[in-house]
Amino acid sequence: MSKWMQKLSENILDKFSMDFLRSQVLKNAYGNDDTVIAGLDPRILLAWYLFFAIVPWFADDIPFLLGCFLLVMVTTVLARVAGLVLFLFVLGIFTQTGYLLIFTLLFGGDASSVAPLLVLTLKVATVSLASVTVFSGLDPDRLSNGLMWYGCPERLSFSISYAYRMLPILMEEFQNVLLSYRLRGNPPAHDTAAGKIRYLVYQVRIIIQSFYPLMLNTAKRSRTTVEALELRGYRYAQSSRQVRRMKLASLKVTLNDLIFLTASILWTAVSILASGLI
Amino acid sequence: MSLIHIQDLTFTYPGASTPILRNFSLDVEAGDFLAVVGNNGCGKSTLCKTLNGLIPHFIAGDFSGTVLVDGENTLDMDVGTLARRVGYVYQDFENQIVRPTVLDDASYACLNYGMEDYLDRGKKALELSGLSGREKDYIWQLSGGQTHLLALAGALALGPDVLILDEPIAQLDPAHADRIYQILRDLNQKQGKTIIVIEHHTEYIADYCRHVLLMKDGRAVWKLPVREALGRVEELEESSIFPPQVTIAASRLQKQGRYLPCAPLPVTVSEGTRAFQKLSWKTQPAPEKAKAEPPRPVASFFNVSASYRSVKGEPHKVFEDLNLTLRSGENIALVGTNGAGKSTLMKLLTGLIRPGSGNISLGGRLISEASPEEISQTVSLVYQNPEDMFIKDSIKNDIAYAMQARKIPDWEEKTRLLLKRFRLTDLANRDGRLLSGGQMRRASLAIGVALNPKILLLDEPTANLDIATRKEIMYTLKEMKDITETVMIATHDMQLVCEWADRILVLHQGRVAADGTRDEIFADRRLLDLVGIRPPEIFALGRALDERALCYTVDDFLNAFKETRDE
Amino acid sequence: MSANQKQTAMQSQKLMIFVLSMSLYGLATLFTELIPKFQVGLVEFSVEYFLFIPLVLAMLFDPLSAALGAATGELVFSEIMLGQFGGLGELEKFLTVTIGVYLAGRMVRNPKNRALVGAAAFLGTAAQLFMGMVVDILKVQFAVEDFEAVAGLPESVFFTEGFAFLNDLLFSGILFCLLPTLYLVPRLYGKIEPLLGMRPRTAENSLGKISLKTIVVCLAFFACAAAAELLASSGMELIDWEASWAESGTAMAVGIAAAAILALAVLAVLKKRAASIDKAVERP
Repeated sequence: MSKWMQKLSENILDKFSMDFLRSQVLKNAYGNDDTVIAGLDPRILLAWYLFFAIVPWFADDIPFLLGCFLLVMVTTVLARVAGLVLFLFVLGIFTQTGYLLIFTLLFGGDASSVAPLLVLTLKVATVSLASVTVFSGLDPDRLSNGLMWYGCPERLSFSISYAYRMLPILMEEFQNVLLSYRLRGNPPAHDTAAGKIRYLVYQVRIIIQSFYPLMLNTAKRSRTTVEALELRGYRYAQSSRQVRRMKLASLKVTLNDLIFLTASILWTAVSILASGLI
Repeated sequence: MSLIHIQDLTFTYPGASTPILRNFSLDVEAGDFLAVVGNNGCGKSTLCKTLNGLIPHFIAGDFSGTVLVDGENTLDMDVGTLARRVGYVYQDFENQIVRPTVLDDASYACLNYGMEDYLDRGKKALELSGLSGREKDYIWQLSGGQTHLLALAGALALGPDVLILDEPIAQLDPAHADRIYQILRDLNQKQGKTIIVIEHHTEYIADYCRHVLLMKDGRAVWKLPVREALGRVEELEESSIFPPQVTIAASRLQKQGRYLPCAPLPVTVSEGTRAFQKLSWKTQPAPEKAKAEPPRPVASFFNVSASYRSVKGEPHKVFEDLNLTLRSGENIALVGTNGAGKSTLMKLLTGLIRPGSGNISLGGRLISEASPEEISQTVSLVYQNPEDMFIKDSIKNDIAYAMQARKIPDWEEKTRLLLKRFRLTDLANRDGRLLSGGQMRRASLAIGVALNPKILLLDEPTANLDIATRKEIMYTLKEMKDITETVMIATHDMQLVCEWADRILVLHQGRVAADGTRDEIFADRRLLDLVGIRPPEIFALGRALDERALCYTVDDFLNAFKETRDE
Repeated sequence: MSANQKQTAMQSQKLMIFVLSMSLYGLATLFTELIPKFQVGLVEFSVEYFLFIPLVLAMLFDPLSAALGAATGELVFSEIMLGQFGGLGELEKFLTVTIGVYLAGRMVRNPKNRALVGAAAFLGTAAQLFMGMVVDILKVQFAVEDFEAVAGLPESVFFTEGFAFLNDLLFSGILFCLLPTLYLVPRLYGKIEPLLGMRPRTAENSLGKISLKTIVVCLAFFACAAAAELLASSGMELIDWEASWAESGTAMAVGIAAAAILALAVLAVLKKRAASIDKAVERP
């Protein structure tokens, strides 16, 4: 039994290791590039997102919100978002309004007290899932091109694709530094309650201290990167209209985009209809 | 008219007290394949950055003299114009790649400079670099060698006449290194590119380059055709450059009067075979083999399998049913191609990776029952990149950290002794990152042995080092015998393997392909071909002359081969 | 060296700082996003645990690049990458972080002066938290009509927000911003600059004292931030959405639905045809 428990706790620890986080974030960024959502035109998706990020806030009746929620749920499934992101989503909903909803239900709240909470929960959930669909489902490069089309600063779209490129390297570096601390350090025993607190403090201190080597190592990297960027014409391109046009030329609205858009409109219309009928 | 003309170039980095290049002059003809050699810190990389205009356009500093590329002064051109004439591949090339996918990165520069056919240019560059078919892949799916080729493609895409590569093969196994040099040779011969490499590996210089430039203290000592350059054995050795072993052997024979005094020295194995035809192998007395009791095991693997998560699809299997025993007192070399599982094996031993199935025991205790913190008292791992070992602001604190954390009595005294032993006392308060390559390695070794581990694991301890520094590390390794019982080194450096290891483990496709002494491993031609490892040049030379000869060092060779008397 | 070259060199250094600050702070916020926030009673520890990273960089290098880099890093790594993008409301965070870090960086003229470094770190954090608090209070004020008329409401809002502010500042501000900054700045000073090819900051080459102009510009940006947040959260009730489709909604919705079905049918046919053409091309 104790062995089984040990295995379980090890498993849970393993799940939340840096390695796990790294693979989840990578999965989220690159693991779903062959989905329907990833293939859509980023401009259409961003416009679509704008609708589902704003409209639910203004709506108050449950059938319509439920309709929207179901739609974004389907798109989230289509986007094959990584488990961790979904977990964060659920956690976010729960801590914001979900727990109130569950408590009210548990303690026998009637329809009048449940309804407003349900409405709020649906609103928050719809908006979050819409953002998860678009920002996790789109591949970073298409996303940054889409943002650029809408006139976002070039610096931002560069930052997005660069961030995705650097993330695996940075995480590995961070992991290595933390490992050095872990292997050479000696964390306090954490069986008792006081020990647990001491252990937490120890960990926080280690994380803060690990930024000393991390900053120096990253500084070395950034220097090469920025030099290489200069050689490869990054600054030159910033001021060139032609380059912008060439970058955006890769964006094309296809039949799939139109189908996605009309299907969304149809579903929304049906939800409005339903709420009108009830 | 030469393609590159440098006259009286002097450059000082901001904040530095002495110039890194002083009155430097050089001419490079179009179509040359030039190797730049010199000890660490002699200004090789700085020189290359003056050619692509990063100096002085991008890196501020005191600049005087002229640099002409294709007849135009680099001062009059901007970096963009120059980038189309001079391509540059960094030593830390992975930071040079800024886009997430392969084709994207290869065509990035062309896109930025507004070339309408940027995708075609990118594709063509990928083709030239041997990366066709990988266009849609993500960067992290590439191996180290392929990432390097991608960096090369990114530079090639702009169609420069000159390509500069800073230590292109430092961390590659021989097969990957050959591939890079073959691609460079194609570019040089078929595309007419002028190629400049900074390179320590003189075997590759002998095989591929046309000219050699020797630099010392920011000055050009000479630029000579490759044969003549490598023949200047003493001058090279003074600058910590080791000529090919074949050349060293010939030069030593010449000194002993056993080789024609003025004849050119051979620089490759095939030349050596011809030049030394008169030598013949004398049967060596077989070394006494003391068949003692095998020493007690310190670590054992039982049917271990291991895998790591991949972004898409199934986890990637590294090992399946691995069985292995490490014994006390052994010097083990772990060899195999990039990606054969060397690092994984080491991480399994430190408890950082848990086996998927099977067991690992450490001194009779199962690893799965101990935490990595406990294991680290017995097993210590020194990373390939020494910078990852430095977590404190001075090497003194770094060495002391583990002892301090474990409240080891007299840790101050022990730190002092370690500093002295690794000749770091004068550097005790410096940050590890700001030391030179060799000092950095020494410091990382000192950190690794601070807890008196029974097993010391070293990942590529000699990568990126010039030969003098390498020798120093070898010396330090031999010195450490009394600190640790068992040492295991993962490496591509076969000279290190031959001179140091008494047991060699060959990893291939997730299993131990061979396990034995150097004679057993290196004499087995089929095995070497199968797993893609290459014995040192002198060994190949010996065997080319006589199939029975097993010489691992130049000394071995000189002792084992004698002149046949012409009668 | 010509002025033009100096300009390029300056820009390159700024880009380096931007990239450095973005990567490091982005990575750090990615982790805080993954760690569940812990709540004690009513008080949530909402301070940016890793604000010390841009603070340190802003004190050692160009403050504006470090500040913008940090804000961008947070936006990209923790909001966009994890799909937690909250829309217009993120702008508030972006601007308050930028202002707080920038002010702290500008204050430090000589990183060797520990007292100054500590004060700057503390004030920078305080500025960021204070702006957040003001926005929160404004939000309630904006959302509730007759804010002043509801008995006790202003007082309770001021009290809870003020308490949260003080708590964050004294607890997290000291533990996670002040102390780490004091630990890191002296250690990095003189070591990290050569790695980037720059000269360390001294009193002579610093940007000089914070002028009135700086403060005015910061305030203007803060006004933008507050406006964005208010628009994002409480502007919702401005339109009475519900009423519009209670009456004529049914007819309109039927119309939309019919049009959409028609469009879908047409598109499906088109798609099929396109696919068959593709096949025909493949098989000549």
